[in-house]
Amino acid sequence: MAAIAPAIDERLEAYADLAVRVGANVQEGQTVFLTTQVEHAPLARALTRAAYRAGARYVDVRYRDDHVRHAMIDLGPDEALTHSPEWMKQLYRAMEGGAQLWTTGDPEPELMNDLDGERVGRARMKEVVEIIREQMVERSLNWSGVAYPSEGWAKQIYGEPDVERLWEAVAFCTRLDEADPVQAWRDHMARLEGRGKILTELELDAIHYTGPGTDLTVGLNPNARWMSALFRTRDGIEYVPNMPTEEVFTTPDCRRAEGTIRSSRPLVLDGDIIEGLQLTVKDGKIIDVQADKGAGIVRGQLEIDDRAAYFGELALVDGTSRVGQTHTTFFDTLYDENATCHIAYGFGVPEVFDGEAGEGMNISGVHTDFMVGGPELAVDGITKDGRVVPILREDVWQLD
Amino acid sequence: MAAGLERIDRYAELIVRVGANVQPGQLVEVIARIEHADVARAVARAAYRAGAVYVDVGYSDQHVRRAMIEHAGDDMLSWTPPWLLERAKHFGQVNAAIVALVGDAEPELLADLPGDRVGKARMKELGEELTNQTNEGLNNWVVTGVPNAGWATQLFGTPDVDALWDLVEFCVRLDEDDPVAAWREHVKKLGARAKLLNDMRIDSLRYRGPGTDLTVGLLPESRWEGCESTSATGINYVANMPTEEVYTTPDCRRTEGTVRSTQPLVLAGQIVKGLDVRFENGRIVDVHADEGASVIEGELASDENAPFLGEVALVDGTSRVGQTGRVFYETLFDENASCHVAYGSAYAEAVEGGVIDGVNVSSVHTDFMIGGVDVEVDAVCRDGAIVPLLRDNVWQPAA
Repeated sequence: MAAIAPAIDERLEAYADLAVRVGANVQEGQTVFLTTQVEHAPLARALTRAAYRAGARYVDVRYRDDHVRHAMIDLGPDEALTHSPEWMKQLYRAMEGGAQLWTTGDPEPELMNDLDGERVGRARMKEVVEIIREQMVERSLNWSGVAYPSEGWAKQIYGEPDVERLWEAVAFCTRLDEADPVQAWRDHMARLEGRGKILTELELDAIHYTGPGTDLTVGLNPNARWMSALFRTRDGIEYVPNMPTEEVFTTPDCRRAEGTIRSSRPLVLDGDIIEGLQLTVKDGKIIDVQADKGAGIVRGQLEIDDRAAYFGELALVDGTSRVGQTHTTFFDTLYDENATCHIAYGFGVPEVFDGEAGEGMNISGVHTDFMVGGPELAVDGITKDGRVVPILREDVWQLD
Repeated sequence: MAAGLERIDRYAELIVRVGANVQPGQLVEVIARIEHADVARAVARAAYRAGAVYVDVGYSDQHVRRAMIEHAGDDMLSWTPPWLLERAKHFGQVNAAIVALVGDAEPELLADLPGDRVGKARMKELGEELTNQTNEGLNNWVVTGVPNAGWATQLFGTPDVDALWDLVEFCVRLDEDDPVAAWREHVKKLGARAKLLNDMRIDSLRYRGPGTDLTVGLLPESRWEGCESTSATGINYVANMPTEEVYTTPDCRRTEGTVRSTQPLVLAGQIVKGLDVRFENGRIVDVHADEGASVIEGELASDENAPFLGEVALVDGTSRVGQTGRVFYETLFDENASCHVAYGSAYAEAVEGGVIDGVNVSSVHTDFMIGGVDVEVDAVCRDGAIVPLLRDNVWQPAA
């Protein structure tokens, strides 16, 4: 019988090359760690090939399976929920100095809906999360995440399993539709870097958000800057951890936040959807969680550790974002956070912070972004002398 | 759809309760390809229902392996990532239950790659660790098959997964009203057959047939085994589902002659057909095949003991797998249709005294089929008596 090499999907290979070359920026001789899920196999395989093409020494692929996780949460003993297998810790420790790739795009967004929300919230490999956090602080690996269009995800977005339509949206948002996507990304990142520079030079003391259900002031760190998602490892490897990315962001002073904030888009967390999230914040801490749906999931997450209820990130996105231009809710943080302004509770952003972690920058095992932006949200910077600098009005950037 | 799900869940129960025999409080490892996800998930559920403390499903992907063989450096082909070795060692230390799922979804995926690289592309240290664990009986485990479209296509020419499910269901006795009771009966029958062979005090086995004239010497300590094993921690398990064989560990120094494989063999993603092997002083000295000889040669070069026999197994024509009249292109099934031998590592539990002189230790273990209606098998007993064991695929000794 004639041997048949696997059929190659050119778009998928180009997408994988972009994630490997611009995203994680895999270096010759690096070991690459790919964390994916069984439903993403075609992308995982393309990423593996792309990583080897880029000179990877070895590509380690770990397939997760949310159905197995469902079985654990549904039927397993309590101790299984937070169990971190020893070998998994060793795997994550071995990632130091390597490149990491991960995939997103939930093929079965409602899978966990029949489970006890409190158990879903608790089911985390705590010790593994701890190791990942240390590595982020030490900036010891170059990594990136990309989404895989699947029927289930397309159905969630469009009401029908139109994978091709989703692929077109993904290709647009990740600039894969450009003649030279690599150059398009260079230009894009230079523009966002410019925005970050202007914001940093303003030396703002706080950000003030106003809108329906929202009146929130968050203090900024004098030793934190604004940046785009063009990261550098401690060894100087530049990488883009999220594709797409449209944001400039900073890590706020976690001790200084006051007011209320209403989420402007649904949030998908551990397979659950949280809608109409409204948070009340006092002395930096989230003291009340309300939602039309799924408030228990957020409350469970905020109890994972004692710093989960403090803010770790503020990110600004205007309406010219490619994700925003699709006018689509993707039900996936990687995409939706790039359509609009967002805030994260939990872990901060070490890349933008000079100083001892904990002195202003929040440290936690949780990092959850929720979307707050849109045409009705006004964002102002407050300078140290109390001057108000408009940053966003009706989704239009005011400082360019 | 509902009926299909029910069948998968019944299968998973059988795998967990009779195969691996998962005990309350045990860690459970599931080894699967991503194409086995539906059964792996059902096994995870069944294992938690049986009281598993945690179920760790490790998926592998042949396309990832293909990319590695195509692109990685020579030194990486047989490399074991330390975290995977750690994982295997941990499962040994805590006496985990192990469920390994087989059934190749793309049997020819690696066929166009250089056979020597495919043959070398095995995690060597991991293989050695698992061999040691098997010899020490650390785990209760089972290997079982998962129907999938690719495997079905190889059997039928069309991706008729339902038809393959029917075959598998028959072979693993899932078609019985009470599969657990049927397995108890079956285990008893093979146990009696093993006892009979042990009582014969066999010195060697002789195989004669087209292309075959082979003598396999046994050790005085060789012990025939049925299909029920017992782990070091005292848990009974059925290591293969289906299983129709009685097997023992031969004296790896005393194999002589030639043997022709009677069925194709799928190895490392390639198909080996028309395999002819010649032994001298126990060692494979010559390999010929119509197709795929280089994969065998690559495997035999893995370590110095690879070209010696580690297992000899007898199967007659009444086996359920044999009754299907099918070649499954999957060792787990095909070896249970027919007599077979394996080069590479031996099973220490089939020897009085474990790993003694003459018991082969290697990082590989590959079964190939040598039985069939044209092959006669005799036992040459230590007292010189010659006892026919198989004629026309019919078991000869009484009982």
